[in-house]
Amino acid sequence: MKSFIINRIAYALLILFFVTILVFSLARLLPGDPIQAAAMFNADLSNQEIVSELRARYGLDKPIYIQYVIWLKDFIQGDWGTSLGSGEDVLEMFFRRLPITLELFAGSVFWSLIIGLPLGVISAVKRNSWLDAILTTTSIFGVSIPVFWEGIILIYLFAVIFPILPPSGYVPFAESPIDNILSVILPTFVMGTHGAGLFARYVRSSLLEVLGQDYIRTARAKGLREKSILLVHAAKPAMIPVVTIIGLAWGYVVSGSFLVEYMFAIPGLGRMGVDAVFARDFPVIQATLVMVTVNILLVNLAVDLLYGYLDPRVRVRGNLGQ
Amino acid sequence: MKTSRQYPHYFFLLLFVFYFSLPVAAASENLKSGQGWMEFGESYWPEKPVKGGTIQTAAPLYIGLFNPNHFPVMDWASMGFFYDKLILHDGSYKPTIPWLAESWQYLDKVTIVMKLRQGVKFQDGSDFTAMTLKYQMEWILDKKNGAWSRPWLEPLQSVEVVDPFTLKFHLKRPWGAFAGTMASVPGMVISEKALQMDAAIAEKKDIIRMIGSVRRTAEKAETRAESGDASELEKAEAVQARMKFSSLESRMKELETLTQEGKSVDSMPAGTGPYLLSKASPGNYIELKRNPEWWFGKYAGMPDMPYYENVKVSVIPDPSVSLASLKAGKVDYTLLNPFQYPIVKNDPRFRVGISPLNWLVWLMLNQAEGPCKDILVRKAISHAIDRKALVMGTQAGMGRLASCIFPDNHWTHNPDLEPVKFDPELSRKLLAQAGYKNGLTIKGFTLNTPVSQAFTKAVMAMLENVGIKWEVDFLGIAGMVEPFMKRKYDMSGGLYQWIFEPDLIATALYMPDGMLNYGRNKNEKAIQLIVQGREETDDAKRVKIYQQLEAILYENYEDVWLWYPMMVAASSKRIQGFNVEMLKQHGEGYIRSHPTWFKDGGRQD
Repeated sequence: MKSFIINRIAYALLILFFVTILVFSLARLLPGDPIQAAAMFNADLSNQEIVSELRARYGLDKPIYIQYVIWLKDFIQGDWGTSLGSGEDVLEMFFRRLPITLELFAGSVFWSLIIGLPLGVISAVKRNSWLDAILTTTSIFGVSIPVFWEGIILIYLFAVIFPILPPSGYVPFAESPIDNILSVILPTFVMGTHGAGLFARYVRSSLLEVLGQDYIRTARAKGLREKSILLVHAAKPAMIPVVTIIGLAWGYVVSGSFLVEYMFAIPGLGRMGVDAVFARDFPVIQATLVMVTVNILLVNLAVDLLYGYLDPRVRVRGNLGQ
Repeated sequence: MKTSRQYPHYFFLLLFVFYFSLPVAAASENLKSGQGWMEFGESYWPEKPVKGGTIQTAAPLYIGLFNPNHFPVMDWASMGFFYDKLILHDGSYKPTIPWLAESWQYLDKVTIVMKLRQGVKFQDGSDFTAMTLKYQMEWILDKKNGAWSRPWLEPLQSVEVVDPFTLKFHLKRPWGAFAGTMASVPGMVISEKALQMDAAIAEKKDIIRMIGSVRRTAEKAETRAESGDASELEKAEAVQARMKFSSLESRMKELETLTQEGKSVDSMPAGTGPYLLSKASPGNYIELKRNPEWWFGKYAGMPDMPYYENVKVSVIPDPSVSLASLKAGKVDYTLLNPFQYPIVKNDPRFRVGISPLNWLVWLMLNQAEGPCKDILVRKAISHAIDRKALVMGTQAGMGRLASCIFPDNHWTHNPDLEPVKFDPELSRKLLAQAGYKNGLTIKGFTLNTPVSQAFTKAVMAMLENVGIKWEVDFLGIAGMVEPFMKRKYDMSGGLYQWIFEPDLIATALYMPDGMLNYGRNKNEKAIQLIVQGREETDDAKRVKIYQQLEAILYENYEDVWLWYPMMVAASSKRIQGFNVEMLKQHGEGYIRSHPTWFKDGGRQD
């Protein structure tokens, strides 16, 4: 297991190195110079001399490979540069927004689990019944409902018609724990309903597969109660796809949370990253993509380890492989 | 091509914030006489102002840096909370209203004397004087401070302090846009103390960046010098390198002491404005508190100004959510897009105001190459567009048809020009005359926002109707740079915001080196007039020059000017003291001198 982890980390670092090159080059392959764009859209305030000065200040006047070396060196040393869009320090910006996106993610997983798991389990247990049909339709609705539509409906419902929740905005937990929870209920619910639909579908099919296994038949033959079979013997292996989805969802949390963060005015990483792409804010694009890659690599590693825990066969295969 | 700011609806919102929450400006003479825009009697508002409460507003973008001279500033409206300007614009966008500058006068073509208001304090406690203003002008002009407003002050030779409240501006050449410039970014007054801190912080950052390599260079030079075969030159170099390092080190210590308590203007604004920064949560909100030392309230004999105790500006990017927040009572006012107007116009809880904006929606033509070189084609395009239908269909009627570049309520607008008539038959004839009897295909690009796409598609249909196929790429802001600079278009969509000083838009659009020209046209007569207008210091003569410029551009169908937009805003009826008619008449002068207030003194949340 130890050598497996070391190997994975070594691969991850190699991948990360190539990703930095890719991210850096791709950001610059996007058409449009950010300073020129900003200057052009602020015609009142700009001229070519200022544009050249700003390009020099942000190091954009140097050859691309030199820019890359400088950026990589500074990045490793913790100097992530200054945002071209807001003038903020990118490192500070990133770590100020990270907990917000983490909170959104945790909240959305919470909603997904408490809605999706029961739906999936009931669907599997009552398979091919009218209840299964209703729950399956509900799950598909949850997956396909557009975030904008759901968001605005919920805002009008719970902030305007029944004013119990704030329509938008984010209150940090440290400032007011209650307001913090109130401010994330709607956005996390919107994110969570999408995940809940997916969870329900995956849990249903996974559980059906597990319930058809020989050892479940054996358990039934031993006279175990259905509830016990479901909770003790079937639930754990059926959770593997759920873990996979959570892992995948975490990988996509930055891009996936953009719409919700935009709509609910939440200053998280999703809005930061996507706004940066539109504004060609290179330092922010680069930092975000590299950290997203790190995140995905770590999550993949964690998911692989969790597989081993949840399904002993994975461990056995892994050991045999070694 | 859009100019000035990045997202159109954002700036509707920002302007709204500006209009409803910022008190400022008044000319002392007018104040004493109580005339015109300085009216505070019942004709302005029947009820007496009440102090108190927290007003909540929405902004679509976070403010960015707080030094207006530094790149990037995102939210210009919020800057008005912190900074007063020297001069303000009146209702015709003309810089006529004295604010921190009591008066300014040309002694000759290249010397201007300016008298400043006395008894004004900066938010950091220092005094506003001629010395501080001279420092600010020199700070902007000094390249190392990286002020992107520097080109505005290019005609300025030097600033001389005559007495503590009088300055002389010595110019390199006659400068017609002096007052316009002092009513813009360079005229937003900043504390000298804060700017010095800013310079010190910047210098400290530079030293931190270079001190390591200077130290290493010194160490290497010393090692070489200590070796037996070192030449005298190498020894001298080693001494010099060590001295350089030592001097940097000692300067660093000085700067560390100097900047120990201070913050850069980028993070802590220090103007003379009505509100102080209380808390900033980047990307989320800013909280402001009343500046009890704000000079204008005391000066006007109304010490309760500004009336709100606190202001909270929350970032809400989505206009529908802004409106929902207004309905939910979480913000006290918001700007609306024209199609939101019917949703609130009959709601008894809100007051809805419509007022003109000094913006221009236009289509930019590339005359350097392609079919638009031919005036017949340009005419055909211009006459093929039904401007009235565009405004009705894509703006819910909230716009005034444009005849040229200066809005119909701008001081240099040419009243003799009518918007180009919609005449598709004439367009077809003109196309045939130009040799495009069987139709013409032109290329272009425009912004990919829903509003921009809607109007572009309408124009495409109108052009198609006369046989012109306009192939358009819908691009993001940065994506528009390359096709624009390389002139890979025949016609593209555009929005120019905040038309105040006429030289700025005229230069940007019609001087070959202008930021929105890049060689796309070169009208010699227009260029001559722009240069003339720049150097003319007599306002009456300037008006004639710019009206003549409009006439020349119009005759030559230089571009396709479509409409001047309107601002639609809704506020809670608890907000008192906003008089739309006075705003239309007196512009910025009214806004800055007439802060609003809550009817009941406001909630204290």
